Amino acid sequence: MPISIPKENASVADQASLTFESPVLTKPKGGSDSGPTLEDLSGLTKTVIRAEPNAMDPPFGQALAVGDMLLCGQRPGEWLAVGEASDCAAFVDGLDRSGHVSVIDHTHSRAMFRLSGSAAPKVLEKICSLDWSDAMTPTGAVVSASVAKVTCDIARVDSDDGAPAYLIACDRSFGQYLFDAIADAGTEFDLRAL
Amino acid sequence: MTANRLPAQPGEYIDRSKPISFTWNGEPIQGFEGDTIASALTANGVRVVARSMKYHRPRGYLTNDFWDPNSFVQVGDDPNVRSAHRLAEANMAVEAQNVWPSLERDIRAANGLVSRFLTAGFYYKTFIKPQRLWPAYAKVLSTFAPGGTVDLDTPHRYHDKRYAHPDVVVAGGGPAGMAAALAAADEGASVMLVEHGHQLGGHLLWGDVNDRMLADELRSRVESHDGIEVLLDSTVTGRYDDNWTAIVQRSHPIAVERLIKARAKMLVVAAGLIERPYVFAGNDKPGVMTSGAVRRFVNMYAARPGTRAVVFTSNDDGDAAAEDLARVGIELARVVDARTGGNIVAAKGGAKSVEGVELADGSTVDCDLLVTAVGWTAPTSLLNMSGDRPVYDELAARFFPSRDIDTVLTTGGMAGDGSHEELVAHATATGRLAAGRAAVTTHRLQAATARAAAVSGAEPAWPSDDRSALPRHPQRELFRSTTHGIVDYSEDVGSKDLVAAAKEGYDSVELLKRYTTATMGPSQGKLETVNTVAVLAEARGETIEEVGTTVWRPPYAPITLGALGGRVFEPVRVSSIQPWHEANGVTTILAGQWIRPEHYGDPAAEVRNTRENVGITDVTPLGKLDLQGPDVPKLLSQLYTNKWMKLGVGNVRYGIMCAEDGVVLDDGVTGRLGDEHYLMTTTSSGAGAIWEWAENWLQTEHPEWQVHVTPVTTGFTSINVAGPKSRELVSRLVDDVDLSPEAFAYMQVRTGTVAGVPNCFMWRIGFTGELSFELHVPSGHGLHVWESLLEAGADLGVKAFGLEAQRIMRLEKGHFIVGQDTDGLTKAPSTGMGALIKLDKDDFAGKPELEWALQDQSLPHVVAIQTTDPRIVPEEASQIVRAGTNEILGRITSSRMSPTLNRSICLGQVAPEVAAAGSELTVVLTTGERITARVMEHHAHFDPEGERLRG
Repeated sequence: MPISIPKENASVADQASLTFESPVLTKPKGGSDSGPTLEDLSGLTKTVIRAEPNAMDPPFGQALAVGDMLLCGQRPGEWLAVGEASDCAAFVDGLDRSGHVSVIDHTHSRAMFRLSGSAAPKVLEKICSLDWSDAMTPTGAVVSASVAKVTCDIARVDSDDGAPAYLIACDRSFGQYLFDAIADAGTEFDLRAL
Repeated sequence: MTANRLPAQPGEYIDRSKPISFTWNGEPIQGFEGDTIASALTANGVRVVARSMKYHRPRGYLTNDFWDPNSFVQVGDDPNVRSAHRLAEANMAVEAQNVWPSLERDIRAANGLVSRFLTAGFYYKTFIKPQRLWPAYAKVLSTFAPGGTVDLDTPHRYHDKRYAHPDVVVAGGGPAGMAAALAAADEGASVMLVEHGHQLGGHLLWGDVNDRMLADELRSRVESHDGIEVLLDSTVTGRYDDNWTAIVQRSHPIAVERLIKARAKMLVVAAGLIERPYVFAGNDKPGVMTSGAVRRFVNMYAARPGTRAVVFTSNDDGDAAAEDLARVGIELARVVDARTGGNIVAAKGGAKSVEGVELADGSTVDCDLLVTAVGWTAPTSLLNMSGDRPVYDELAARFFPSRDIDTVLTTGGMAGDGSHEELVAHATATGRLAAGRAAVTTHRLQAATARAAAVSGAEPAWPSDDRSALPRHPQRELFRSTTHGIVDYSEDVGSKDLVAAAKEGYDSVELLKRYTTATMGPSQGKLETVNTVAVLAEARGETIEEVGTTVWRPPYAPITLGALGGRVFEPVRVSSIQPWHEANGVTTILAGQWIRPEHYGDPAAEVRNTRENVGITDVTPLGKLDLQGPDVPKLLSQLYTNKWMKLGVGNVRYGIMCAEDGVVLDDGVTGRLGDEHYLMTTTSSGAGAIWEWAENWLQTEHPEWQVHVTPVTTGFTSINVAGPKSRELVSRLVDDVDLSPEAFAYMQVRTGTVAGVPNCFMWRIGFTGELSFELHVPSGHGLHVWESLLEAGADLGVKAFGLEAQRIMRLEKGHFIVGQDTDGLTKAPSTGMGALIKLDKDDFAGKPELEWALQDQSLPHVVAIQTTDPRIVPEEASQIVRAGTNEILGRITSSRMSPTLNRSICLGQVAPEVAAAGSELTVVLTTGERITARVMEHHAHFDPEGERLRG
C-alpha cells in the first residue's frame, strides 16, 4: 500500500530507503595497522530461526557458511542467520516450515561486531572467561558467554588469511557500552576501531 | 654516600651505566637501574629502615627478599611497599612509615619499656571492660595501628584482569620451574611460568659461576620458547577447585596490577625454599641477616651489608655466604659451625645495630653483621590449598608433600634436594608428566564440548607418576637457641610470648596462631610458621610432627583490593533515542541497567502539556516477548490469572501474573498479532525474569506445548504518544492503518508503517490515562520516528515527557506499579484485581494459593489516598498508623503532587479495616508529624470512568 504523507512531512516520504541507525555512535580513535580491528556490523540482517533441535545443520555450537550467509547454531533448536537482507530472505523462504518453526527478525534487536586479528583472542581473554584456544574454540565454533558482563552470542569465523575473527552479538541496548569495553580491552594490543 | 657499593660483581643485576637518584626520608640516595630500594639504601649505608609493629624497635633488612618483614616503607602515596622487592626508580620519595616524629627517634619505642606487660591478648584483656568505653579505647588504639599512610585523594589507578586456560601453570621460575616449563612446552603444552621475582633463576641468581651458567642456559631456552608465557614479578596467590589459579601480575605496561584467573589443566609447584631465621636474644637487631640476604646484597646488587661479619652456618649456603663475604673484602670475624657443635646465644649492641655476638662457648665476637644459615621452610601453601597436609621430616628439618595429587605436581626444593643435574632431571620429568596429563584433560574437554575441535581416537591413558624421588639432605634442626628472641618479626611476637600463651592453655597451634597473631602478618607465615611450631612443640614437650602445623590458605602472598577488583564493568543500556535525549537537556535516571530520561527540566509542565495537547515518551525498556506457536493461548492461560483462550487477532488483554504463592510477579498486556503469533509486554524491570518464568513452564511442566518465546525488548524502540491530540499526530505519519476509534479501539493492536518505517506495532494502550498510541518501531529507525513525531506535531504542541511525568500521570490514573505499590508479600487480591483471577480455569500459576487468598479477609488492600491538606505530599514509605497509637496499619507506596488536580495524591497499602472508601487514615511523616488522609472510592484520582483513554 502506498504511504500518503502530509505535505509538511514530505521529506520522510522522499526517503527511498531508510538509514539504519547503529547503536554504536562513537568509536575510539587510535590503534595501529598491526593491531586487531573492531568493526561495527550491527546493520547486517540477523534472523533467528527456531525449530526442533535436529531440524537442520549446523548443530548447536557450530557455524556453517550458506552461500554468502552465515548460519550459527547458537542454542539447541535455535539458529541465527547473518548476512545481507536478500540472502537471509532467500534462506527463510526456502525453509521447511512443516513443523513448529518460528522466524524472528533480530536485525534491530542485536548489535553485532567483528573482532579480528592475531591478537583478537588476547583481547577476548580480558573480558570473557571462555577458553579461546584453537582446540576449544576453533573457527566455526559458536558460543554464548558473558563478555564484559553482557550476555553475548559469539561465532568464530576466521579471516581468509587465517587470522582469528569473532562475530560478537549482544542486545542492541548494550551496543555502545560493549563496543567501548572491547575497544578498551584491546588498547594494549593497538586495537583499531573501524 | 655510596661507600658501601662494591666493585662490579660477576653476577650483578644493576646497570652501572644508568645511575638513578631518589630520596630516603628526604635525603638523597644514589643507585643504579636494577637496584631494589633495599640494595640502594644498603649501598648508601642505611641500616635501619623500619620500626617494629608493637614495640617500635629499630629494624634492618633480615631476608632481603619479598618476604622481608622489616622492609616496609612508604613510596610517595603508596603505603606498605616491600622495599627489598620493589625496584628503585628515579625521583621516588621513599620514607619510613609508622614512625613519629622520625625513624631515628620514634617516641612509641617507649612501648618496649613495658613489653613484659604487652603480652598476647593484652588489648583484649585490658580494654574489655567497661564495654561502654570501648569506642574511646578504639580511637586511641587506632593511632597505634601499623602501616603507611593512605592518601584518600590519590587518583584511582588502573587495575586489569585477564582469563587464561594454559595447559600447565608452573609456580616458580627457579631452575626446577624453568626445567619443568621447558619439558612441558617441548611436549606441546601451553605453559604459563610464574616467577615471584624480577628475574628467572631462583636461588641460582645469587649463586656461584656454575649456578649462573645453569640459570643463563635455562633462561635463554625459556625466553625463546613459543610455548611458554613468562610472568615476572607475579605470584600464584591461590589454587582453588579444578586448578582455578589466581595469579597477580604486579608489573605490567598498562596496569599497576593485573589479576589473571587461570584455569590450569595442571599445576606444577616449584616455589623453592625460604630460608628460616633463627630465634635467639637480639635476633631482630639491624645487621642480623640470613645467608640468602647477604648473598643477594653482595652478588646481585654489589651492596656491602656490613664490614665485619660473624657467620653462623649449618649448611652449604652458610658456607657459601662466608666465602662470598670474604671474597668481597668483608672481614670474617668468626664462622660458627653448628655441624661441629657451635651455636650463638645473643646478639649484642645498641638498638640500631648489632655490635657483637655472644657464642655458646661464652665468648663474644665484635661484628656489625651476623649471618645465620639454619635451614629452610618449604612454602607449601599451594599444596595446602590443593588439599594436602604436608608432613615434617626430621632428617631435612622441613615439611614435604604428603601425597601426590593428580593435577598438582611438586618439584624442586619442595620435593627434595640434590645436585643441579638431579633437580633438573626431576623437574623435566615433572614437566613431561604435567604435559601428558594436560593432554588427557584437553581430550576430555574437547570430546565433551559441542563447539570444540573434533577429537579422534580413544581417550589416552592417564600418565602414571614414575618420577624418581629426589634425595633429602640432612639439615640439623635449629629453631631456637638457648635464649628467647623474636619469632614473628611482622607481628612482634617473641618465643616468650608463645611459651606464655601455651601455658595459658592456647596449646593447639591453630589457637596459638589466632591468640598471639604469630604467622598472621604480611610474611604470611613463610618465615615464622616452622619456628612457631617448634617453640610450641618444645613448650609442650612434643615433636613438631605431633604438634602439626597451621593450614596455609589463600592468598600465598598478600594481594591488594585493587587487584581483586580488577577492571570495573558496569554495563548500561540505552535506547536508540538516547542521542536526542542528551541533546535536549534531559535529566536521566538509572533504572536497573537502563539510562532513562527522567525529565527535560519541568516534569509538571510535561504532564500539563500531555493532558492538554500531546506528549511523547521513550518507553523502550518495556519488556517485549515474541510468542509463536499453536499453544500460545495455553501458555498465556498458565502464566496469567485471567483467560486467554479466545483473544481475537488484533486484540489486546491486560493480565497479572502470580508466583506459586499467589504473590504478584508482573503485569502487562499481550496482543494477538496473528493466528499463532502474540506479543507480550512486561514491566521494564521484569523483562528478564518473565522470560525465564515462561521458559521454565515450557521446559519443565509443559514440554509438549509448541511455543517459542523470544525476547525482543530492544528490537523495538517503544514510543508512547499520549494526549487528546495523539490520534491527530499519529495519523499524520501513518497511512496504512485506520486509526478511527471505531476501527482501532482501546485495547487493540495493529501492524503498520510509521513515518515510512514498516513493520511497526501500534497499540491502543497507555499508562497515562490519556488517549494514547504506543508505537513499537524497529530500533534501527527509532530515532527517525521520534524526530518525525516531533516535527509532524509541532503545531499540535507535541513535547517529550520523561519518566517522572509518566509516573505522575499513572498515579493520577491510579495504575499500580508491581514492585513499588506491591511487594514480595502482596497477593493478587490485594491489588483490587480480584476480578481478573479466574478460578474456573483448569490451572494457572498460583491458583491453589489464590483460591485461599480470595477468601482471606486479612490481606491488605492497595487503595488510593488523598491527604486532608492537599499541599502535603507524604514521602513514599510513610507509615499509616491507628490514630493515637503507633500500631501500623499500612504505608504510602506512591505519592506525588498532581499538576492536573493541583493536590497531593497517593497510593498505599492499608489493612482491610481501613480500606473502605471514606476511611480516615493517620499518616506519620518522616518529620514525625501526623497528618490525616482519606481512602478514595477509586484507584484513579483522575478520570475514573476512563473516558479520556478511550478517546
